[in-house]
Amino acid sequence: MRKWFTSGAPWIWMTSGAVSLALIAVLGLLLLIASRGLVYFWPSTLYEWQLQESQGETSVVIGERYERERVPRERLEQAGMTVPGEAPFVERFLVKTGNRERVSLDFRWIWQDQVIAERTPEALAVVERVRNGNFYGYPEALVVDGERLQGGQMATRLPSVIEEANRLRDEARELQSGAIGRINYQLEQLRLQKRKLALKGQDSPDNLAPLEAQASALRAEYQVLEQSLFALRQQAASDWLEVREMTGETVRLPMDQVLAVAFPNRMNLLEKLWHWMGKVAIFVTAEPREANTEGGVFPAIFGTVFMVMLMAVIVTPFGVLAAVYLHEYAANNALTRFIRIAVINLAGVPSIVYGVFGLGFFVYVLGGSLDSLFYPEALPSPTFGTPGVLWASLTLAILTLPVVIVSTEEGLARIPSTVRHGSLALGATQAETLWRIVLPMASPAIMTGLILAVARAAGEVAPLMLVGVVKLAPQLPVDGNFPYVHLERKFMHLGFHIYDVGFQSPNVEAARPLVYATSFLLVTVIVSLNLTAIAVRNHLREKFRSIDHG
Amino acid sequence: MDNFNISKHISGAFNAELEDLRNRVMAMGGLVEQQLADALEVMQHGDETLAEKVVNRDRKVNTLEVGIDEECTRIIAKRQPAASDLRLVLAISKAVTDLERIGDAAERIARTAAMQGDKRHRAMVMTVDAMGRLTQRMLHDVLDAFARMDVEAAMQIHQQDVRIDDAYEGVVRQLMTFMMEDPRSIPHVLDVLWAARSLERIGDRCQNICEYVIYYVKGTDVRHLDFSKVEDLLK
Amino acid sequence: MLSIDTGERATKAIDPNRLTKAQTAFEIENLGLHYGDKMALSEISMKIPKHQITAFIGPSGCGKSTLLRCLNRMNDLIDDCHITGTIRLDGDDIHDRRIDVAALRRNVGMVFQRPNPFPKSIYENVVYGLRLHGIRDRRRLDEAAEQALKAAALWDEVKDRLGDNAFGLSGGQQQRLVIARAIAIEPQVLLLDEPTSALDPISTLTIEELITELKSRYTVVIVTHNMQQAARVSDHTAFMYLGKLIEYRDTNTLFTTPRQKQTEDYITGRYG
Repeated sequence: MRKWFTSGAPWIWMTSGAVSLALIAVLGLLLLIASRGLVYFWPSTLYEWQLQESQGETSVVIGERYERERVPRERLEQAGMTVPGEAPFVERFLVKTGNRERVSLDFRWIWQDQVIAERTPEALAVVERVRNGNFYGYPEALVVDGERLQGGQMATRLPSVIEEANRLRDEARELQSGAIGRINYQLEQLRLQKRKLALKGQDSPDNLAPLEAQASALRAEYQVLEQSLFALRQQAASDWLEVREMTGETVRLPMDQVLAVAFPNRMNLLEKLWHWMGKVAIFVTAEPREANTEGGVFPAIFGTVFMVMLMAVIVTPFGVLAAVYLHEYAANNALTRFIRIAVINLAGVPSIVYGVFGLGFFVYVLGGSLDSLFYPEALPSPTFGTPGVLWASLTLAILTLPVVIVSTEEGLARIPSTVRHGSLALGATQAETLWRIVLPMASPAIMTGLILAVARAAGEVAPLMLVGVVKLAPQLPVDGNFPYVHLERKFMHLGFHIYDVGFQSPNVEAARPLVYATSFLLVTVIVSLNLTAIAVRNHLREKFRSIDHG
Repeated sequence: MDNFNISKHISGAFNAELEDLRNRVMAMGGLVEQQLADALEVMQHGDETLAEKVVNRDRKVNTLEVGIDEECTRIIAKRQPAASDLRLVLAISKAVTDLERIGDAAERIARTAAMQGDKRHRAMVMTVDAMGRLTQRMLHDVLDAFARMDVEAAMQIHQQDVRIDDAYEGVVRQLMTFMMEDPRSIPHVLDVLWAARSLERIGDRCQNICEYVIYYVKGTDVRHLDFSKVEDLLK
Repeated sequence: MLSIDTGERATKAIDPNRLTKAQTAFEIENLGLHYGDKMALSEISMKIPKHQITAFIGPSGCGKSTLLRCLNRMNDLIDDCHITGTIRLDGDDIHDRRIDVAALRRNVGMVFQRPNPFPKSIYENVVYGLRLHGIRDRRRLDEAAEQALKAAALWDEVKDRLGDNAFGLSGGQQQRLVIARAIAIEPQVLLLDEPTSALDPISTLTIEELITELKSRYTVVIVTHNMQQAARVSDHTAFMYLGKLIEYRDTNTLFTTPRQKQTEDYITGRYG
């Protein structure tokens, strides 16, 4: 035993054990959020249950089974529920019934004992709608241009009708956010120009006339576009689908509300997979609906990536310059050491504190002064004097600055002095040596710092809530209107999206899978950002591998 | 003054090698000295057994020379000696050559003397005796100076060669009278002249060894220089 | 044809202590150097001859590398390094305020103990100094690179792979590359700080051969641990001990008949 102990084997077991634990933790985390999140998009079977109600009558429930659990009777009774039967444990399951506008709750618990019969009829369909979530029921008839189609006719026409509806909807949206958005933007610019002239005291009729002319031209254009928008909407709403729901009533679903109709009970595995992929694609590329609980998260992905990139662009030169000064120029005395320690300690400040600082300094002081200097015409409504993507990036840049400085300094310290001396001995000045030799050789370390900074920044939510993230941003920070990049705009963020969907949405139960899916997406985004940076770093390392060869 | 400070190298093996080299040279010197003494003895008493002994021992002298030279080569190759070490090795390498020649001369003298068993020629041989003693003492002093690497002594011995040269001239003159008195003795006289000539050469070789001592200690090559110049150089 | 000069003794070398002004590259006068309170060099006066190879030898920490670094002011890079005395290069004090350090270093090239190529291609390494000068003309750079590599006896080995990373070369090739890099800017003096201490014996010999060839065009000063190397390549040797110049004379004399006991003890491997 003692021999085994002194052989060093326990040490190896201990260290490898630690690695295994870490590995299991990471894989477990990924597996959990991936499975929970990705299953959300899987077309699950639709059931029709016949239930025995307490008064002796029967009722029908149609929906998806979400989860099933066994609970001790005692606990439920303590919670004040009346539980049928006598057994000490009762089995119950959660059912998503949809049809939100017709029932008070689109989720309900069903006791296993209540169930008289369970069926999975193939005719059951799930209708995805723009508003009010899914609708479950039996499609009865499709009314197109006043013509009523049923049975096989309905089934053959349905896809083309849905496609048409989607096309019309896309067109309308395009019109709204494209052309009409542009006109609104230009009108706002004109208003600001007028205001600017007024502030300068140059608002003579001569000066205002061309602006007025432009504005009225735009307004006329706007009228025309609005007309066509209404026309489109009307056209889309002219058709409807009649669906019989679980109470037996038949409901009219206007086609402009219908996104897709699926019959999950009819699908084979391949069709389900195809359906699943389509839904994942929509999730990643579409905009959110229904208080973020439906639709996609594209603006949040875009906002996250854009903000992180902007932060990287700000923090890299800033951090590298600071590190270069600390390591190359500053005298190695107590003051420098103090500054270095201060910088390192900055990394330990809670991120929310940075958020407060960002709000207090960047948004109010810096943004406020920018507004009064450059955008007085927009006041009192602020331009930069309000949380926005620029301030969020700056705040995170300060948050991650210590990381970049420390790792850059380490990189600089690792460059052998012989190489520097070699350059100096050839008559290079210190600046030339830095620029031509030292910084290129330190670039892998700089990239490492950037990787750490990006990893940290992409995961931060708390400070962002103060300096620019919103639940729903009307526009992306980048669009087709000059100057194309709008740093003053608010933006959406995956991390905040998770928080918002998970805790602030009207229906937490419904949103839970979405929380997992979004989390998985956030992890994916961060990992891919990191992988890109790591690939760049490895390339640089290969290029400047002198350090290892000494 | 310890001119022979070969035992202070950081490398102990090098110390041992140099010490060994030096001991072997001293041993060879002693042997050569013995050879010369025995040769002179043979000349005086015509002891043929002794002469044979001298002849046989010369082979040992030769072996010693070859061995020491080899050792010198090995040291140069392996240790790359510099400065005084280099000069020591070179001086020894050269000195052994001279010692071996002295050995050869002693052997020749013994050989010649052994053939002169005839009492009539004893008188002739006796003329060389004084010169022999002089040479013997010079060799002894040289080896002593070499052992101590004593420059002062070497300088003095270097000058003594003049006396041997004088003695040689005296011997030649005497032998010439022998030849004029009795032309039949000429072959014997020539033999004795040969021996005298050898002794004179031994003196020269001793002078060489003195020069090596000076070279080793002072680092100056004093060969083929006037004596006054040598004294200037060494100041 | 064999000619025997009977009137002269065998060795006839310039006495480095009695150089004329025209023969002198560096003239060091009463040089002293302190790191903080620690004395590294003191009272060093010597003249380094032009177009000759001068070697500094001595035990570790004797200040020979420090002295070498004084010659192109590399010691300026060390904090609290204090220099007294004067060093003149062709009569100009190199510590004069009007002297541009970068220009001095271009004029006095240096090669270090370990090969220190830059993480660039072979070609870029060689033309680094020229690019610093602002030379961009591709043809001039090419010519200079070829010349320098030829002078450093490396051209034939690398001419087909000038674009390769310099780290792909062997240690000896790297050191020759570094020498090529130094001579590409055509300095007047070349300082070599133990240039072969990290190399194998064959590479060492190649470098030594190269150094001997460089003598005709450059003044070479070499610091070496290896006494045999100093003996092999140099014309003059300075022995230093504890920051002082103990003995400085032509190499032939120094290695056969040194005057000072400390020199003798050092070169014969005795403990002094």
